[in-house]
This record gives sequence, structure tokens and C-alpha cells, in this order.
Amino acid sequence: MTRVSENQQVRSLMVSLQGNRKLINQYSNEVGTGIKVNNPSDSNYSGSVAQFKQSLEKTEQYKDRVSAVKGFLTFQDDAVSQASDLVLRLQEIAEQSANETNSATVRAQMAAEAFAIRDHLASLANSTYQGRYVFGGADDDDPPYDPLTYTNSSSTASGQRYVYDSDPGNNGTRVVQVSDDVSIDTLIPGSRIFDNAIQASERLGRALEGFDTTPAPPAAPNGGGAAYVFPADAQLQSQAIRDSLTQLKTARDVDLQPQRTTIAGKLRRLDTASSLLELSKSAGEDVLSRLQDADVFESASKLAQAQTALQASMQVTTRILNISILDFI
Amino acid sequence: MANYGAKILNNATAALAAQQTVIATTGNNIANVNTPGYVRRRAELEARIVTDSSSGIQIGSGVQVATLTRMADSYLEKLVREANGKLGASTGQVDVLDRLDQLFSLNGNTPTIGSSLNGFFDAVNDLAADPASIELRSQLIERGRDLVTVLQTTYNQVAQLQDEADDRIVSEVQETNAILTQIATLNGAISSTESGSSGAVAADERDRRSQLLQQLGGKLSFQQVELPDGSVTLSLSNGFTLVNGTHARQLSTSKTPSFAPPPTPQSLSGGALSYITFDYDPGAGAADFDLTQTIQAGDGILGGLLKVRGYNAPSNTSPFQADGVLTQVATRIESVSRMLLGQVNTTYLGPDENPGAANHQPSSGDLYGNTPRQTDGVTPAVYALFDFNFAGAKDSNGNGLPDDLGTHAGVSNYTSRLQLGVTDPRRIAAARDADATVGATSFAPGDNQNMVAISAMQRANNLTFSVSGVASYSLTGSFSDQYSETVTTVSSAVSKAKSDQGVAESQLTAAQQKLDETSGVSLDEEFTNLIKYQRAYQASARMIKIADELMQQIVTLI
Repeated sequence: MTRVSENQQVRSLMVSLQGNRKLINQYSNEVGTGIKVNNPSDSNYSGSVAQFKQSLEKTEQYKDRVSAVKGFLTFQDDAVSQASDLVLRLQEIAEQSANETNSATVRAQMAAEAFAIRDHLASLANSTYQGRYVFGGADDDDPPYDPLTYTNSSSTASGQRYVYDSDPGNNGTRVVQVSDDVSIDTLIPGSRIFDNAIQASERLGRALEGFDTTPAPPAAPNGGGAAYVFPADAQLQSQAIRDSLTQLKTARDVDLQPQRTTIAGKLRRLDTASSLLELSKSAGEDVLSRLQDADVFESASKLAQAQTALQASMQVTTRILNISILDFI
Repeated sequence: MANYGAKILNNATAALAAQQTVIATTGNNIANVNTPGYVRRRAELEARIVTDSSSGIQIGSGVQVATLTRMADSYLEKLVREANGKLGASTGQVDVLDRLDQLFSLNGNTPTIGSSLNGFFDAVNDLAADPASIELRSQLIERGRDLVTVLQTTYNQVAQLQDEADDRIVSEVQETNAILTQIATLNGAISSTESGSSGAVAADERDRRSQLLQQLGGKLSFQQVELPDGSVTLSLSNGFTLVNGTHARQLSTSKTPSFAPPPTPQSLSGGALSYITFDYDPGAGAADFDLTQTIQAGDGILGGLLKVRGYNAPSNTSPFQADGVLTQVATRIESVSRMLLGQVNTTYLGPDENPGAANHQPSSGDLYGNTPRQTDGVTPAVYALFDFNFAGAKDSNGNGLPDDLGTHAGVSNYTSRLQLGVTDPRRIAAARDADATVGATSFAPGDNQNMVAISAMQRANNLTFSVSGVASYSLTGSFSDQYSETVTTVSSAVSKAKSDQGVAESQLTAAQQKLDETSGVSLDEEFTNLIKYQRAYQASARMIKIADELMQQIVTLI
């Protein structure tokens, strides 16, 4: 005969009460936090959860960096685009001035405009983003174009020229990682964008003001060049204007347009990286949620179930403990 | 004719006495219904045999109590003891590991090693995008400090868990000794009561001893043999006798036992771990016998705690050579610290500009135009990007590279000494030398090549994480792989201990239920018996009355 002693009965009641309490604790935690895996021991996939969490954090950080890099590149794009417009205007001036019917006064005005545009180009080349020179390469703490003087000149403008810094860092690259697989060199040495444009504008301005500029392109002006003697040097002046026109075309076709395309390409790659990051973020979140998050509806219904079970076991406990043989003796 | 009148009286008197004994036994059972460890008793009745030489019909000589039976079952008691041992082992582990679990929380609210590593590399990448920014440089220093702090806090907490487990082992050994002494005393009491031919049972003493044996089972695993005199001999699995008759051996704990001459391996915190020993020569104090591994292999809370805390053989030198989950986890944390001090620092210094020379010439530079070592000399006061607090020469082989971790005398772990080598944001070397001439340097403030090299380490999946001299751990992968493996190590250890605990709990409940089925008091049964024996007592009393009436009948005839 199977005996059931008092202790046995009490123990099994306690076991069922405790078991139900434990379930209620677990499910109410799940419902309360929405998370099933709080600590490593809560799941066999804790290692994966940790890895997914880290990769999600990294994705968020990459996304921040993408927007920072995008700001920097957009700034470059704006500067190059403005430079391109300015070069277009210089070309117009050059073409107009090539007409030999222009009076000296008109030429002087045209020269002033050419120099103004040159100064604008130089300020674009020396522009700063968050306090640092954008086109200075890795040597971004001082301006890439330094002003120097000509020996022969008639105005302040024609007496000045701009020379690209020769610091070793100027031609450096700056590779920035924007996702695990995509890195972008955010730097363009200023000389690759502005050298031809600035030199051509200087040559044009000086030619219009009546000065020769040595040596001839494509070499950079060295600050020398004497005044033309008219009418003997009229041919030379026209040739200088034509030369500057050719260099302006080079500036547009070889420097500015290709660099704009390059920057646009980098921005496109950023966008691609950004949308890939977005994709990997949502995919990662999806998997992480499946691994870590509690199904709140399921947990809530299990909670209700466990509550019912607890009530039932409490009822059973009180009823059974209330029955005693003493009541019948 | 036989004198049946006297016989009736005799039998009735004997019956009264017997029923009374049974009722008293039942009463004792009822009284002890809730006493832990009480085993119900039953007074066994038997027909009295009195040799009657007279002829005639043998009608019998009434009833008597033959024996008092303790309704014990040694097999079920053994099951309970073993389940208790398993529960003790798993509970000891869960108590410690539960807290380890929380150090690697996955809820995203508490900073972990994983998130701090991400934060550090995020700052490296940010600085790579804008290398001259003082703000981003300061951020890198802050994130570096966060990483150092989290590594240290996590490591120190793991080390503290080991120390706490060690302290608890010491107090559990003392409790075990007390139990052993009590068992030996009870052995004496039981054998003196039961040794004669009276058939007496030392029931109460046996109850108490069973209970102590169950408690002892919760402390450690042992083997038990009951001798004919009722005493038990207890021994460990290696044959070491714990209790023999009335003699109990006392275990002791020592951090400097005679079999482990210094230098003994240090604990994770830099202290020492206790060995459980028995001193064969207490007077001279130099004959300690190591029982640690034997007890560690068994169950009970001591087995469980030792499994978690780990055992380090006296011949070992590093705290990471011990076994146990805590050591495993600490080794993994230490390997990250050594990765920062080693390979990350090497990358930070940049390639050797002058490979022919004895000393490594760094090729990275800061905003002041200095290489990381230029102001520090050959034996640097500052190690590199990551540094450690140590009074002696840090670059012990003097080659200018941090490739000699593990050789610094007195340093058992680098994690608790870890610190950031750079405090001035401008001193962070983000650039690489643009001047190819040996000895000449040129650093551009906006150059990020050095940060790019460190950033690449975050994505590199061929880094080897290890601790020199520790063969049990080596992992080749990325920082993320390493952290994930660490979390998996914690996860599997904690969930195994927890599931073991669940299994042990249900095994113990099942065994106790089974034991209670045999040994437990049932009030229903006792009261039913009470009524039954009360009726028998009443009937016996009536028999005396009837015998009396019969006698009177005879007397009135006279």
C-alpha cells in the first residue's frame, strides 16, 4: 500500500506553489521588460546576442560617421562647383577681351574682375570646415595657398600671386571607414583642383593689365614678367590671353569637372553605404529581436495561465490542509 | 484442569501493557509529525511464548512487544544524501555564477566590455575622420578610460567572486568539521546502546545521525559503511578516512600548506587560494596532505564552490593556469587587456623606421610632432597608448616594443594595473611619418594613417587573444568574436549550473517524497491505529472484568 505521510503532502503542495510563483516571476519580468534574454544564462544564443548587439552598435556609429563625412564632402562639392562657375565666368572675360577693339579702360576693368575672381578662387581653395582647411590635404592647419608678390605690377591685385604649399602633408590621403567594407578617401589636394584655375586667372588678369607672366604655361608663374610695350607687344598680349583661355579650359576639363565627378561618386558610395547600413541595421535588429525579445502576447497569456495555476494550487493547499481525521473522531 | 482463570488475567494484563506500549509509540509518532529527520517507529506485537509444561490445550500466553522498528530505508536515505550533494554543488555554483551572469548583461543598460570596446573604436574612427580635432582627441581619451575602467571593474568583480568563494570554502570546511565530530559522538552513543544482546535500538540517535549524514552529503561527497556495532565509517573517494568509530578527523584550510612551498600561484586578485588539507603531524605542522582535488571532483557545496573557484596546482605560476569558470572568464578579460597593451600598442607605434637598429623607432606622431616615445626615452615611463601601473622597467628587453608582457616580476595580471598612457589630447599619435629619411620625422596634423591602422584592428579577424604561459586558452578572431565567445562561456557555465540545480532540486524532492512515504508520519494512519489499539486496550480491560466475574462465580459457589 502506498502511504502518504503529512510531510509528503505538504512538500508536494509547496513544490507546486513555488513552481507557479517562479513561473509568474519569470513571465511578469518578460512582460515588464519586453526582453527574454537579460543575462547570458537566459539563452543558449547569448554569444550571438552579444555579437549582434555589438554589430548593431557599430552600424549606428558608422551611420553617424557617414553623415559627418557627407557634410565634409558636400562642402567640397559646393566649393568645387562654385569654382567651376567662376572659371566659366573667367572664360567669358577672356573670350571677350581677346577682341582687340577693347579700349585700355575696358581691359583694366576686365583685369580687375579677373583678379577679383582669382581672389575668390583662392578663398575657396583656402576655405575651412569646422576650423580646418578643406583643401590643405593632411596639412590642414594652415592655408594651402599662400600669397606672394610679383616684381612687376601696376596694382595690388596684379602684384599678388598664390602659391600652393609644399608641405609633405599637403598631398596626403585620409581614408575614413564608413562601413566594414567601404572606406572613402575624403581628401583632395587643393593643387589638383585650383592650380590651373588660379594660375590662369592670374595670367589673364596680368595680361589684361599689360604684363607678361613668366614662365609660359603649363609651368607655374614665378613672380617675374615685364610690362608689355605697345603696340609692339600687342601680339604677345593676345597670345597670353589665348594661353590663359587654354589653361582655363584645362582647369575646367581636367581639374574641376573630373573632381566634381569624383566627389559625386564618393557621395554616391556614401549613400550606398548608408542604405546598406540601414539594411544591415534592420536585418540585425530583426534577428536580435527574435533572439532576445519576449513575445509579449505569449508571455502575457502564459502569465495569466500561471496565475490561474497558482490560485488553483492555493485553493488545493488550503482545502487539503483543512481536512483532518480529528474532525471525524 | 489448567487454571484458565489466572491465564485470562495474565493474558489480559500482558495485552494491556502491550497495547499501552503501542499507543505510546503512536503518541510519540504524532508528537514528532513535524520533526525534521524523524523516522516513524512501529512497536511490533507478537504472540507471547511461555513454555507450559502442563498438558492440555495450548491456548497461548497473550501478546508482547517484540521490537521497536525504525521505519528507515538506507537505500532511500542514500538517494536523498546524493541528491542533497548534487543540490549543494549546483547551488554553490549558482550563488557565485548568478553574479557573474550580471557582469555580462545583455539588456543594453549597463556598460559591458563589448560596448566599451565599440565605444573606443568608434572614437578612433571619429578621430580618423577629423584627426586634428582636439574635441575628438579628448573623446578618444575618455572612451579609452571607459574601456580601461570597464575591463578593470569586470575583472576585479570576477576576482572578488573567486575570493568570496574561497572565504566560503573556509567556513564550509569548519561546518563540515563540526558535523564530522557530531557524527563520531553519535557513533559512540549508538554502538553503546546497540552493542549488547538486548536488541535495543538507539532510534533517536540514529535519526540525528541520518540527518547529519544528509547535511554532510550537502557539504561533500563521501562513502559510508555501517559496521555491525551500528557505527558508520566515512571516507572520501580516495580512501581518506573522515570518521572511524568515535574518531573524527578535522580538515583544515591553508593558503601556505607544506606541500606548496613559495612561490605558490596567486589568485585572480593577487592574493592566494586556500587548499583543503589534513595535517598528519599537527605538532611539527609540516605534513599537510592535499585533499582539495578529491573534494573538488565530488558533489556537495564544497565540490561546487571548488569547481567554480578553481584549483591551481602548487607548481603553477600564473593565476590563469587554474581551472574553474571564474578563471576561464578572467583569462578572457586579461587577454583583451594584453591585446591592448601588446598588439594595439605595437600598431600605435607604427612600423619600425630603422629595422637595422636594436631599438624600434616609432613611425607615428602627435600634434606636437613627437613620436610616442620621443619624450620618454628607451625605457619609457609611459608604455604607449595603453599603459600599466608598474614601478620597475616596463620594457624589460629594452627593444622599444611592448612584446614582453608576462615578464614583469610581481605582476600576476595586467588588467588591474591597466591605465591609459596618454592624458594630453595633443599627445595622441594619429599621424604617420611623411619623411622617409631615418631619424627625420614630419607629421601632418590632419594625417589619420595611424588611426586608420588602429581602426583596422576592429575589423581584423585574425587577432590572437591569449595569455602567455596559459595553454588552456587561445582564440583567433576579431574583438567581437572574442567577446561573444566570452559571453558564451559565461552563458553555458551559468545555465549548466542552473539546470543542474533544477534537476537536483527535483531529484531531491522525489527522493525525499519516496523516503517520507516509508519513514514519514501519517496522522491518518496514527489516529486510525490509536483508535484500533484503544479498542484493543478497552477489550483487554474488559477481559480482566470478565475474569473477575468468573472468579466471583466460583467464590459464590463456596
